[in-house]
Amino acid sequence: MRSRRLTPVAALAVAALSLAGCGLGSSDDTSSGSKPTVDANTQVTGEVSLQTWALKPKFTSYVEGVIKAFEAKYPGTKVTWLDQPGDGYDKKVLSQASAGQLPDVVNLPPDFALPLAKQNLLLDVAAADPKLSEEYVEGGVQAYQYQGQTGTFGYPWYLNTDIDYWNATKFAAVGLDAKNPPKTFDELLAAAKVMHDKSGGKEYLMSRLPGIGDFTNAGVKVLSDDGKTFTFNTPEAVALLDKYRAAYAAGYLPRDILTQEYLGNSKLFTQGKVAWTTGGGNAIQDFVKDNPSLKGKVVPSPALDTPPLYVQGLSVSAKTKNQAAAIALARFVTNAENQAAFAKIVNIFPSTKASANDPYFSKSDGTPESDAKVLAFASLAKAKSLQPAVISGATNDFINQQISLAIAGKVTSKAALDAAVAKANQLLAQ
Amino acid sequence: MKYHRWFTPWVLIVPALAWLLVFNLWPSVNTVILSFTNARPIGGGTFVGLKNFETLLHDEQLRYALLNSVIYMVVCLPFLTIFPLLLAVLVEKKLPGITFFRTAFYTPVVASAVVVALIWQWILDDRGLVNGLAEKLGVISGPLPFLSDQWLLLLSAISLTIWKGLGYYMIIYLAALGNVGRELHEAAAVDGASAFRRFVNVTIPGVRGTMVLISILISVSALRVFSELFILSGGKGGPGGRDNSVVMLIQQYSQGFEGNLGYASALSIVLFFVTVVPMLVLARLNRKGAEA
Repeated sequence: MRSRRLTPVAALAVAALSLAGCGLGSSDDTSSGSKPTVDANTQVTGEVSLQTWALKPKFTSYVEGVIKAFEAKYPGTKVTWLDQPGDGYDKKVLSQASAGQLPDVVNLPPDFALPLAKQNLLLDVAAADPKLSEEYVEGGVQAYQYQGQTGTFGYPWYLNTDIDYWNATKFAAVGLDAKNPPKTFDELLAAAKVMHDKSGGKEYLMSRLPGIGDFTNAGVKVLSDDGKTFTFNTPEAVALLDKYRAAYAAGYLPRDILTQEYLGNSKLFTQGKVAWTTGGGNAIQDFVKDNPSLKGKVVPSPALDTPPLYVQGLSVSAKTKNQAAAIALARFVTNAENQAAFAKIVNIFPSTKASANDPYFSKSDGTPESDAKVLAFASLAKAKSLQPAVISGATNDFINQQISLAIAGKVTSKAALDAAVAKANQLLAQ
Repeated sequence: MKYHRWFTPWVLIVPALAWLLVFNLWPSVNTVILSFTNARPIGGGTFVGLKNFETLLHDEQLRYALLNSVIYMVVCLPFLTIFPLLLAVLVEKKLPGITFFRTAFYTPVVASAVVVALIWQWILDDRGLVNGLAEKLGVISGPLPFLSDQWLLLLSAISLTIWKGLGYYMIIYLAALGNVGRELHEAAAVDGASAFRRFVNVTIPGVRGTMVLISILISVSALRVFSELFILSGGKGGPGGRDNSVVMLIQQYSQGFEGNLGYASALSIVLFFVTVVPMLVLARLNRKGAEA
């Protein structure tokens, strides 16, 4: 009787275990990206799909114009444009990739492109297009080249970086000069102390936790050269965390930074609750739009240390049935002329070397908005990708959790960084 | 003429059976399968045996999540089993305007958990309503860290759950109270029993089955708590992730391009067993009570 009862359970277990062996691909694939099988210069014709990220309806006419121009330049081509909503874009791409239905040309930031490149789902566009590195800025191209992978897995499309924004009214209230804001992290800490002390602990300057980018900026080597181990538990990183920890304990940072999500500091800045935030060259427009009382009070300045480089790009699916048209489309959308036109309506920056001398980006008309744009454009020259693309969402979450524990004084900075490195290495090895 | 054949019933249940297999049974079986692999959202994975389960034995985050879940259940269980019953007894009375109170207590149930949690986040924030009011009244000198202290954040989330659950369980009790014989109360009153004795000796035995059912529902939902902790902690699980629940951990491990579906599945299985245990214990207690 007992064995009869157990039979279905055993059958289910056997079925489960036998199924565990099938339907799952191998993870031992170590090849480095898919090489194109056709020359990019072969005749471009046929149908090709382009997927963008949240460009409708604001930029519909721009994208449709580019598509029309492409179809006119290459008679016989037909572009199908898909635009995905901003929220959950990663999940959409993930499901497309899992189902083998990635569009021919797809907008992917470098961290989205890496896992797809690892699975040979993206084309090495540099192999098809030797002029890639000549025409696009170095940082943009490098963003699509990964340690441990051979190839370039996207055309840089547009770039952005962060500059600093200061609330002049709050600065003046505590005797600080927003026209002469802090230029280094230590000066920032000193100003945070002044703001706290002079306001009786009611005002804050800083409202963010340090992240991997801050370690990079402090001269900490985050990842080993072979890309296989994290190395950011160094004395320099400990010293940086200790400075934040002391500032937090002294009350220079609001306590809820431990629970705020990313961009929490720009939200607090917009709400007028803190006096400093970082943001892109166009962020000043959003601050004033969301909180009109900030008009005339926001002063931009260059980012502290090395500015971060944010890159968006177009990748080509390795499974495209029309490689020539897909590569031609990705190159066409990201060429200097189209990027410059796009940058002028979106307030981002082009990634082509030919755009560097365009006065639109390099000369201010004297307004704070224009000053911010010119500052950001000038910062791009020394901007660098401060966080390796191999840091996945889960890894980043764990690192941030450990940093929070250290800042909150629950564990020492060294212990937090050691735990973060150990877990990050474990996740990297999986 | 006989149209029925032996297979007719089988044909009729095929749609229901197919639905059951595809949408109920297969996802569960698939979770078990995945828990023995290192599967990723793309590129599949390989069979890794018990490695995921070995890893979770040493997972500090899981220990905190389990501790939080158990604390959640232990605190919520008595509060949400007893207070809704008392509320139901109060609002059961047929008094003028009692509908207002019934509706008022039920309102939080109708509101979305996400909206409620967001409102509470604003209320409990360092610069929120509670801290602002308390500081103005001079009760506190500095804001209480409701959302940035490990234990206060957990307590805040538990309070929110209790506040939101009171009306829901009150309605269930109201239905159950309707089945408690009025004549029993009248007989007890004639025998001179006080209101309290009638509550203990008549009302509680009359709704004992419902109390067990509610206890099971509370235990299961407390162990699977997500939205309250997620939103109050800004999605981060509190300082250092120490206010994560098991469901939040599952979500964190499974999301993104590099999501570890195998490990998340192993966590799901742990959660399944953790949830089943109190259910079995309460069901057994109920059976013993009924036999006694």
